[in-house]
Amino acid sequence: MFYREVGDYKTTYADDSQTFPIRFDRLRYFFVLFVAIAIVPLWIDDYWSNAVLVPFLVWSVAAIGLNILTGYCGQISLGTGGFMAVGAFACYKLMTQFPELNIVFCILASGIVTSAVGIVFGLPSLRIKGFYLAVATLAAQFFLVWLFNKVPWFYNYSFSGQITAPERTVFGLPVTGPNVEPWAQYLICLAFVFVLAWGARNLTRGALGRKWMAIRDMDIAAEIIGVDPLRAKLSAFAISSFYVGVAGALYFAVYLGAVEATEAFGINQSFLVLFMIIIGGLGSIFGALIGAAFMVLMPIVLKNILTGGLNWEPSLATHVEFMLVGCLIMVFLIAEPHGISQLWNIAKQKLRLWPFPH
Amino acid sequence: MLMEVRGVSLRFGGVVALDDVSFDIAKGEIRAIIGPNGAGKSSMLNVINGFYRPQQGDIWYRGQKRESGKPHKIAGEGIARTFQNIALFEGMSALDNIMCGRLTLVRSGFWKQLLWWGPAEREEFEHRERVEHIIDFLEIQAIRKTPVGQLPYGLQKRVELGRALASEPTLLLLDEPMAGMNNEEKEDMCRFVLDVNEELGTTIVLIEHDMGVVMDIADRVVVMDHGQLIADGIPAEIMHNQDVIDAYLGVAH
Repeated sequence: MFYREVGDYKTTYADDSQTFPIRFDRLRYFFVLFVAIAIVPLWIDDYWSNAVLVPFLVWSVAAIGLNILTGYCGQISLGTGGFMAVGAFACYKLMTQFPELNIVFCILASGIVTSAVGIVFGLPSLRIKGFYLAVATLAAQFFLVWLFNKVPWFYNYSFSGQITAPERTVFGLPVTGPNVEPWAQYLICLAFVFVLAWGARNLTRGALGRKWMAIRDMDIAAEIIGVDPLRAKLSAFAISSFYVGVAGALYFAVYLGAVEATEAFGINQSFLVLFMIIIGGLGSIFGALIGAAFMVLMPIVLKNILTGGLNWEPSLATHVEFMLVGCLIMVFLIAEPHGISQLWNIAKQKLRLWPFPH
Repeated sequence: MLMEVRGVSLRFGGVVALDDVSFDIAKGEIRAIIGPNGAGKSSMLNVINGFYRPQQGDIWYRGQKRESGKPHKIAGEGIARTFQNIALFEGMSALDNIMCGRLTLVRSGFWKQLLWWGPAEREEFEHRERVEHIIDFLEIQAIRKTPVGQLPYGLQKRVELGRALASEPTLLLLDEPMAGMNNEEKEDMCRFVLDVNEELGTTIVLIEHDMGVVMDIADRVVVMDHGQLIADGIPAEIMHNQDVIDAYLGVAH
């Protein structure tokens, strides 16, 4: 019914390889984009911005980054939190050392710094795979957080060890610091998500994406058809870390405003992003977005239902949330390793024929 | 001569996989390598495409001695191959798998790919057009968007041949392209091999156990046994060579 393909003929390769090949999908995508850009900023308030939309957008960037590395290139990483810390601290140093520099460039430059760090910690991937690589990236996680706690230069010798984002503006509007409007905070994050998701889509549908997927699916065959494993893996680490670094910078500067390395960028964050891409869907940009939305929204919805609706103890509700996340991860790993995005695709396939499947 | 293999020896610890093997491959021919199991045929292909480095001996390709070289560099020099056990990229569609074969030919760099509009997109569709010709040639139009994991064996073999052809190789190495196929599928595959050889002028090295196929389509045959080359010649000679008959049928001691 909704997904009618009759009469929707593809006559060029460009038509055939669109991101949204079905007209209804395309229209819905533009509709969602329109709502996100034009409608949401009109009514967004502090609660929606701080509790729901901004964290969703920031985690989306991190999830896209990790999905490039793990979902597309098959290299597992548990260092996401550490790389986010690199992005945050790089952003802080750039903001304080070069107060004239526009915040957008600060954030992009933090991504580039993180990318360089990512390449260094990606080097072991040339020798080791799977669990062993996961442990090597875990070392990155602990080392980086330790470094940012240990060396006072990174937090400008402040007594608390915290870093606090000074006020910076885009087109005269504050987007960081204490005076930021919720809609400005939301729009700057949305702009980053939109551009970065679009870039990730372009990279993953072209030659580079095929190289990564070839390495993921069968590295020896990939090498024999002409993929240089060194360049493919390190480019995945570099680009993935760029995204994660930008996410870290946004997380610190735009979302929280003040962070402390151990608390904000611990191993929990690494796992959180990994759960996002597992539940959302490995090897899919949409999966990263939906996974981030799920992991951000689920605790809020559960809390509202359990403590608000059923009057449970908040601590009990928190425990239930932990259990639910754990169960969901097991269910997804066993039943649908490609996550919500695959369920979504299956639903769409069914809807193409609905209501007359024969 | 397109390629010369000169005195190649390959050992894994104490196991001698190849023992002083020399032969040549002429431009435009179909060269078969046959021999009993464990004779070193696949090892020979792995040496030719750079996956194994022989301890002794040289490979001369297009009149030049191969100095060293990683497999991905050698792929860029126009040597493509298929595998004995299918080595497709399971997470991708048949079309994407074949598109992977053209990765060595992609020219647009990182920034162009990131932007996608313009050069990268144009280039992608040029590659797509060449790939569609291969899909037509192999008669797999109907499955181009199917994930390869869901395809039956015979079609997977075809997709793998397509991936190797997509790189427009000068030298195509086929490791048992017809293993496990029924007669009809074998006939199709023979037709593809002969067409590739005739229409594109691609030189083909083929490992095959079906003697009927080998004798019909090969121009010259190398016979190996226990890592040694025991015969080299046109099929008619090979069929009556006493060493070959002994190697295949065994010999009374």
